[in-house]
Amino acid sequence: MARDKIYNEEKFPSPLQQLWFNFKQTNVAMVGFYGYMFLLILAIFSPMVMPHNAMESNLDVLLLPPAWDKQGNVSYLLGTDSLGRDMLSRLIHGTTLTFGLSFIVVIISLVIGVVLGSLSALTKGIKSSIYNHFLDVILSIPTLLLAIIIVAILGPGLGNTLWAIVISLIPQFIHITHNAVKEEFNKDYVLASRLDGASSLRILQYSVFPNIIEKIVNQATLAQSAAILDIASLGFLGFGAQSPLPEWGTMLFSDLDLFYIAPWTVYLPGLAILFAVLTTNLVGEGLRHAVKMRKEN
Amino acid sequence: MMLTRRLNRYFLSTLMSINLLLILSACAPQDKEQSEDSIHAHSLIYCSEGSPETFNPQLVTSGTTIDATSKQLYDRLLAFSPKDDSLIPALAKSWHITRDGKMITFYLRQDVEFNHTDYFTPTRKLNADDVIFSFKRILDKNNPYHHVSGGKYPFFQTINFTELVKDIEKINDYTIRFKLNHADSSFLTNLATDFSVVLSAEYADNLTKKNQQHLLDTMPIGTGPYKLKEFRSGSFIRFYRNEHYWAHPVKLEQLVYDITPLNTGRLTKLLAKECDVISYPIAHKKITEHKDFTLDSVTSFNVGYLGFNVTKPPFNNTLVRKAISHAINFKAIINIVYGDQAQLSTSLLPESSWAHTSNKNHREYSLSLAKSMLEAAGYPQGFSMNLWAMPIQRAYNPNALKMAKLIQADLQHIGIKVNIISYEWSTFLRRLAAGEHDAVLLGWSADQPDPDNFFTPLLSCSARYTGGNRTFWCNKQYDALLAKALATTNLKQRKKYYQQALTIIDNELPLIPIAHSKRYQARIKTVQGKILQPFGGIDFSTVSKLPAQRLVNNQTKKNNIKSNLQVGNN
Amino acid sequence: MLMFTLRRLSLFFFTMVLLSMLTFSLRYFFPGDMLINLSGQINANTAELKQLAIDYKIHESIFSQYWQYLTNIFHGNLGLSMASQLPISTEISTLLPATIELSIIALTIAMVMGIPLGFIAAIYHRKKIDNIILTFAIVGHSFPVFWLGLLVILIFSIQLAWFPSAGDISLLFEIPQQTGFLFIDILLSNSPYKWQAFNSALAHIFLPASVVALAPATVFIRLARTSMMEVLETSYIQAAKTKGLSFIQIIYHHAIRNALIKMIRHIGLQFANLITFVMITEVIFSWPGIGRWLIVSIGQRDYTAIQNGLLVLSIFIFVVHIFTDFIYAALNPLAREHNHGS
Repeated sequence: MARDKIYNEEKFPSPLQQLWFNFKQTNVAMVGFYGYMFLLILAIFSPMVMPHNAMESNLDVLLLPPAWDKQGNVSYLLGTDSLGRDMLSRLIHGTTLTFGLSFIVVIISLVIGVVLGSLSALTKGIKSSIYNHFLDVILSIPTLLLAIIIVAILGPGLGNTLWAIVISLIPQFIHITHNAVKEEFNKDYVLASRLDGASSLRILQYSVFPNIIEKIVNQATLAQSAAILDIASLGFLGFGAQSPLPEWGTMLFSDLDLFYIAPWTVYLPGLAILFAVLTTNLVGEGLRHAVKMRKEN
Repeated sequence: MMLTRRLNRYFLSTLMSINLLLILSACAPQDKEQSEDSIHAHSLIYCSEGSPETFNPQLVTSGTTIDATSKQLYDRLLAFSPKDDSLIPALAKSWHITRDGKMITFYLRQDVEFNHTDYFTPTRKLNADDVIFSFKRILDKNNPYHHVSGGKYPFFQTINFTELVKDIEKINDYTIRFKLNHADSSFLTNLATDFSVVLSAEYADNLTKKNQQHLLDTMPIGTGPYKLKEFRSGSFIRFYRNEHYWAHPVKLEQLVYDITPLNTGRLTKLLAKECDVISYPIAHKKITEHKDFTLDSVTSFNVGYLGFNVTKPPFNNTLVRKAISHAINFKAIINIVYGDQAQLSTSLLPESSWAHTSNKNHREYSLSLAKSMLEAAGYPQGFSMNLWAMPIQRAYNPNALKMAKLIQADLQHIGIKVNIISYEWSTFLRRLAAGEHDAVLLGWSADQPDPDNFFTPLLSCSARYTGGNRTFWCNKQYDALLAKALATTNLKQRKKYYQQALTIIDNELPLIPIAHSKRYQARIKTVQGKILQPFGGIDFSTVSKLPAQRLVNNQTKKNNIKSNLQVGNN
Repeated sequence: MLMFTLRRLSLFFFTMVLLSMLTFSLRYFFPGDMLINLSGQINANTAELKQLAIDYKIHESIFSQYWQYLTNIFHGNLGLSMASQLPISTEISTLLPATIELSIIALTIAMVMGIPLGFIAAIYHRKKIDNIILTFAIVGHSFPVFWLGLLVILIFSIQLAWFPSAGDISLLFEIPQQTGFLFIDILLSNSPYKWQAFNSALAHIFLPASVVALAPATVFIRLARTSMMEVLETSYIQAAKTKGLSFIQIIYHHAIRNALIKMIRHIGLQFANLITFVMITEVIFSWPGIGRWLIVSIGQRDYTAIQNGLLVLSIFIFVVHIFTDFIYAALNPLAREHNHGS
């Protein structure tokens, strides 16, 4: 709805825009951000950039070391594994599986968590108390235990463990939304719109969300770094993606026997996980820093 | 500024003390090395690949269990000569066979002590009662111990032991006589295998009184070089030496099996010197390159194979089985899985067996042939199947999972979708025996040099369900040939029968033999003695350790001299 | 404090009921025969199965089944492990102490390393040291624990040969089990190699505990840094400063105490994470704890073990959670007033 400019008012940037402005100030955060975008783009376009087929074995080039080694081969830049599959292609494909899926997992649990969290913030009394206690119980069950339950029932597989991760991430979002919404609702400007006759839902949508979104985004970065580690750990334990899928944790596990003869098959997936989690954490750190800067100003 | 400086000092000191702690704990292992010398010098840690299912070899065929029990805890009437695999005396000091081959008399040693343990102290030495009890348990369905622990004796069932032996007689306290229904050329060698152990009849009686019969197989009493002290499933087995061992004094005081299923885990423990000896090492090159370790190998009689469950469609169709045999690139498997350290099998028998005959026009790798066969069988579109890959490493198959992946990729070309299935070893065996699989990657290690040890346990009708026949294939003609071969002692004649049996296998193809491989093991150089045996399980009875090596590592001159002296003594 | 205790106890009770209901309901989801899954008796014949059905009240109403389930738990009758055929209760009594030992030592290392580093970072806020420590915290937080474990073994066990790579003690030492806690058992034992055994156990726990400790340590660094910065900005510190107290006195009397109280609360919240790290680390270092047992049980389809292992681990996590809440409340009167502590 277009509004006529009646008053000569100053235009305020939205909270997100302010955040971005502050975020850009920190170099380290921007490095993290570029890394993050790089992984995201790689995850989306991985089938197009892979130099070789990531799952097809090639018996002519078994255990080729990376190209900088004397016995390396430039067309297999990061070497090959014990079935002659190109490590670089596998790592790129793995970006979709480990990083891309962690992103999707976080989005799903974020949506569910925020909806449930806002609903809960609007309830009061005994219901709210039971609800909180229930959250406490769920929060105290680690992802790994949840995944064990699901894998025991449905068997191992990437899809099954993803649900476990989604379920275990939801309570965090409920928690943070619940608290943030409650906090905002006690503020004066909400009271003002309420006096104007706005419904709770409308207040939520137009007044509260824009102000708590940075908290949720912040939580999302934390959740994503946890999700990447969870997907990889579950893959490593043999519960998650099954080989030949080149999920990073699964790769690490299935090449574990080669640790002493072809160490790159173990170093590289580990480095990939470290890089993905690190960039995510840097973005998150940058966000928190930016929020703090803005508050201080 | 003053404040910060002082603070600096404060935190520096805390940091220093943390560092000190770290250094102290870092020193701990070095202290340990010196003061623990006594316990290290007389003890050995063997990293094994899995937990035993039981402590009685009569009840199993699994190599892991045999490794952990047979030659450590027990003895047999006869043994194989380390030189030429001929039979030599063990608990029986001599024996005699009647001309018709139906009566065999054994004269026992009189100086054999059973293990003295925390849970049982024997009051007498080994005599005829013990031997008779050990075999009666298997033969006699009315023996009170026959049904204890399940009542299954897979090895003896596959060799039709019950039908073969008519009776066992006690002539006197140290003489017994086996009466056979018919002559059997492999009978004596079967008595020398790891399964034909001698238990203590006194211990059995003792347990009957306490109504704890099942302990006979879980808390074992044997005559072997070691006695069981403690077993924690999935974790470790602790043996102490038998001070009264009849054959020779045992040098090691303590023998510990550290159960380490992961291949990398075993190699790590060897490299970190937490294990003195490891089973089935990976990365052979890494071990041979290192100055502190040696890689041992022994030509063992074995075969790794791909077996089909012939009771399940589409594998009840011979054409399907043959199609698969043409679609798999076995040369690549030998190269990748065995690292070219194995022979591509041309038949069920390894080349070193006297009954071996090579099959020249064997299994051509040809996708078009495979496709046409599959079409003829009525599966032009292919199908999907479950391939079970054994979870542990064996000599005959060092990496079944990788092999399964290669086969998966190969069979994809002819439209067969392969799902790879694997369980932890004992669960795997249990489910396999129940016939849940479509096809399985498995193998067999011979327990004795007789070729019958391949034919009967792997593919005979009697070995279905109870024994080693996981294909559930049963062919009367094949069984008849094996029986004929056993009834004669004429080698030429036997070889002819076995040749015919091999032809039947080739035509029907219930399993595809893949490779015959050596068995490997790695150890720290200070460990002396022969552990690997060509047949059956490993043997620690003559193993000892050079204590000096540890001191050499510390590189002090004095110790070097001492160590040299000790090496000289050995 | 009384109200607080009551509220916490009711929460504890409520949670235990909820947890037991959750693990109880698992029996309907696990594949295979329910009775065998519950009892672990894989070789049971028909007569035995009938008896088991009566024992577990399987044909009665769901409430009496549930009641029977609770009774069995309280009697320690948890069935047999399908894989090893040993009673689950004996297995757990040897495994859980090993896990507790590892978590306690890891937590101690995390605090001893993390808290002072956090304080240093706060005191040198926005200086080089602060940046270095923060970088360490972010990188440490990003390490996949299983990969770290592998690297640490490669460096410290194989290259340097300082620490052993697997197990909780050299298997050559025979330590009779009394409490299940290895260090206590060693001290209680009368082995002639008592002190060597103790050294060996110390050397064995160092690497796994440090690997587990890294991620929590980074969390403690941040918490300690934040709380120290907050404390340093409060008026009472300013007041103390003007009073002429030395900086060390201020830190010692005010800042550390306040920061530590906050830390205790976070131990409870961090504990679920810590247990995840412990479980994975146990797999890598072959630590004979309950986490490794649970993970191995999945591979063996040992449903009896899975069901009970889950229950025991969750109870353990929650007990620690409640326990830290109590300590926190005891030290910090403000916390008792709030409606929900969560």
